[in-house]
Amino acid sequence: MLEKLSENLFDKISIDFLRNQVMKNAYGNNDTVIAALDPRILLLWYLFFGLAPWFMKDVVLLLGMFLLVAALACMARIAPLVLFLFCIGVFTQTGYLLLISLFFGGNMETVAPLLVMTLKVAVVSLASVTVFSGLDPDRLANGLEWFGCPERFSFSISFGYRMLPVLMEEFQNILLSYRLRGNAPAKDTFVGKVRWFVYQVKVIMMAFYPLMLNTAKRSRTTVEALELKGYRYASQNMAVKRIRLASLRLGNRDIWFVGISAAWMAACVGFSWWVRGGML
Amino acid sequence: MIRIEDLTFTYPGAEKPSLKKIRLHVEKGDFLAVIGNNGCGKSTLCKTLNGLIPHFISGDMEGHVLIGGEDTQEQQVGSLARKVGYVYQDFENQIVRPTVLDDASFACLNYALEGHEERGRKALSMCGLKEKEGDFIWQLSGGQKHLLALAGALALGPEVLILDEPIAQLDPFHARQTYEILEKLNREYGKTIIVIEHHTEYIARYCKHAILMRDGEILWKLPAREALRQVEDLEESNIFPPQVTLAAYQLKKRGILLENVPLPTTLEEGKEAFSSCRFWPCVGRHQEEKPLGEVMVDLENIRAGYRAVKGESRPIFDGFSLKIRRGEKVALIGSNGAGKSTMMKLMIGLMKPEAGRISLQGQNTRKMSPEEMAKRISMVYQNPEEMFIKDSIEADIAYAMRVRKVPDWRERTEKLLELFHLTGIKDRDGRLLSGGQMRRASLAIGIALNPGILLLDEPTANLDIATRHEIMGTLELLKGITETVVIATHDMQLVCQWADRILVLKDGRLIADGAREEIFADREVERQVGIQPPEIYAMGRALSEKADCYTIEEFIDCFQEMEVNCFQEMEANCFQEMKGEGFGYAGEAV
Repeated sequence: MLEKLSENLFDKISIDFLRNQVMKNAYGNNDTVIAALDPRILLLWYLFFGLAPWFMKDVVLLLGMFLLVAALACMARIAPLVLFLFCIGVFTQTGYLLLISLFFGGNMETVAPLLVMTLKVAVVSLASVTVFSGLDPDRLANGLEWFGCPERFSFSISFGYRMLPVLMEEFQNILLSYRLRGNAPAKDTFVGKVRWFVYQVKVIMMAFYPLMLNTAKRSRTTVEALELKGYRYASQNMAVKRIRLASLRLGNRDIWFVGISAAWMAACVGFSWWVRGGML
Repeated sequence: MIRIEDLTFTYPGAEKPSLKKIRLHVEKGDFLAVIGNNGCGKSTLCKTLNGLIPHFISGDMEGHVLIGGEDTQEQQVGSLARKVGYVYQDFENQIVRPTVLDDASFACLNYALEGHEERGRKALSMCGLKEKEGDFIWQLSGGQKHLLALAGALALGPEVLILDEPIAQLDPFHARQTYEILEKLNREYGKTIIVIEHHTEYIARYCKHAILMRDGEILWKLPAREALRQVEDLEESNIFPPQVTLAAYQLKKRGILLENVPLPTTLEEGKEAFSSCRFWPCVGRHQEEKPLGEVMVDLENIRAGYRAVKGESRPIFDGFSLKIRRGEKVALIGSNGAGKSTMMKLMIGLMKPEAGRISLQGQNTRKMSPEEMAKRISMVYQNPEEMFIKDSIEADIAYAMRVRKVPDWRERTEKLLELFHLTGIKDRDGRLLSGGQMRRASLAIGIALNPGILLLDEPTANLDIATRHEIMGTLELLKGITETVVIATHDMQLVCQWADRILVLKDGRLIADGAREEIFADREVERQVGIQPPEIYAMGRALSEKADCYTIEEFIDCFQEMEVNCFQEMEANCFQEMKGEGFGYAGEAV
């Protein structure tokens, strides 16, 4: 049973799995409510939810924000791996302190500030995850460009996503070259296990060199093709930017989205007043 | 349309010019093939046409290139790109956007042309990719990516299209599809098309003119079929004329075909030219019954597939079983996406099956460490670049033996270098070698550990035909080292010359399994998978129902008699009877 489980786990944590998750995150959710929103609105929304929590200490308000962001994260259908990393992240930031203080008999007074901190981190990171993985990279790039990000930057984002699957597959193959041709240390003893682990990490690092060299070789064609496709001219031509950004349009959906977010926040503020009033 | 006057070009740092005094006129609406051996200046010539030379790639350029009457020197690459479209040999690197429509219209957008999406769409529908416009690049097959690269060039509405080895990476089905689209563009839309091409069968069928280049010069420009009849010139440049032409050439040499018969270049011409030859069924390939060897690979009831990015994942294999025995030379064929690579990945443990059992020499692979596996099985990837993990091929070949402390690894490395003719270049980085050298090096790496089974994924893809012949020769070298070899390939000439067992895959199912005689005679297989036997086989069949010749040599043996009389017919029947009884017979093929 145990053997089966470990086998199963080992199958799951493979490069193939990682690749699939990254792709899912980038492209697998372009039909969600979040993905259909105007990227500019989402970026503004993120500006608020990414910054505001740092200046708040009201637990109720933060809890309200957390619920809203969590609901949106569900709607954005974020890949499980990313959510898992998010949980780990929050936990290692402050969550473990919260648990430890509870375990050692901490009361409300010690727990409250920690809870506030944890909620802050959770809201901010969940908001980032929602915006950056709910949007497909292309729309994100367009949104950033509208706010004045250099065109080259936004091009690199979408080009990066174009190349990502290719690179990951190549990386996987190079790693396999190492694994099949290399000779990993035996991992029967504890020292052996440590050595095996060090070896694996070393191989992963070494595999980057061939990958980079291969990419360099590849890029010659890409550079020429970009020249032929007039990429250089486009960066000098304002009309191109206008055409490219013409696809960004505010719709009813965006108004609803902003409206609901604002209404929810107002309700939270009201509720928190009421709670505090009640307490006093 | 294109006029080149006394063009000489030298790359910076090069001693000799890559192009010497080129003069060339190409008329509007031509379909021109550029042929020549590696390094003769074909690609350089084509890059002078779209202005990359001299505007983007510097060097010494003399003479003039005129496109539609205008000198390329005086124009920008941007305005030239609207007149001349270019599709690279490594077209995948030419696609820079994540979605199909986006990439097709990217150039139009950059030049701020009106209605860039409409233009992109139009180009896609010209290339038969209309339904795919919303797809992501990684959802496309190799053939579709090529068409997309073509569409990206077409979207700007150029009058001239240049394609560098368009079908080198495609299976025969997609290759035909690509050429049919090119033909349509040429005929219906009046585009002038220039292809750099090694596949002379396609030149015969589709092109109007051909030029032969050697050492930076143009030897001649002739109508395509006339060009392919210049067998001596072509062979000197390491170009192989169509099999039909070669066969006729050989027969002429032996005096069997008359001098005044023009050499045929296509099947239709062949029917005419060979009409005087009679089928002589003396050569059937001797089928020796080999005793069944030990089972090397055993796949039992495998289910496997990839995780889908969206929706339910669909298994590629479900309940798939296969045994491969010692000493078999197996060819794995089927169209792109049929599961060939997946099967190899399963065998070598890169992928784990969801259900079922894979054994190598009777041992379950699940419990095997990669190191143990490597002793039994080895794989040479389709991209040799991914096998170069060190900075010289010598170190690459030695790596596996060195880390495993194989006692005489130095000697063995030296032997392998010698065997594959790599000693002279052993200190160079594998990535910087030519295509054929890279393949040879990757083969040497693959067999360094003396594996019992060797898997080769498309060993002849992307190679010009001369290099392909070289690789086939190299495969012969493997005989003494590795007995069991599995090759996934689209190359039917390789299959016919080399394999003794052919597996045909379609959608993860094995639809045929047998020797070449059974596979190619099976109409059903041909219909389902669209595999095509080599041209010479089709030629033989067109001449006689009974002909079964897979190589030029077999064809010549079969058809070396003139039509004479019925006496020979009797004799032939006699031979067949003998064959049936299992006697040895004349002209036994090796």
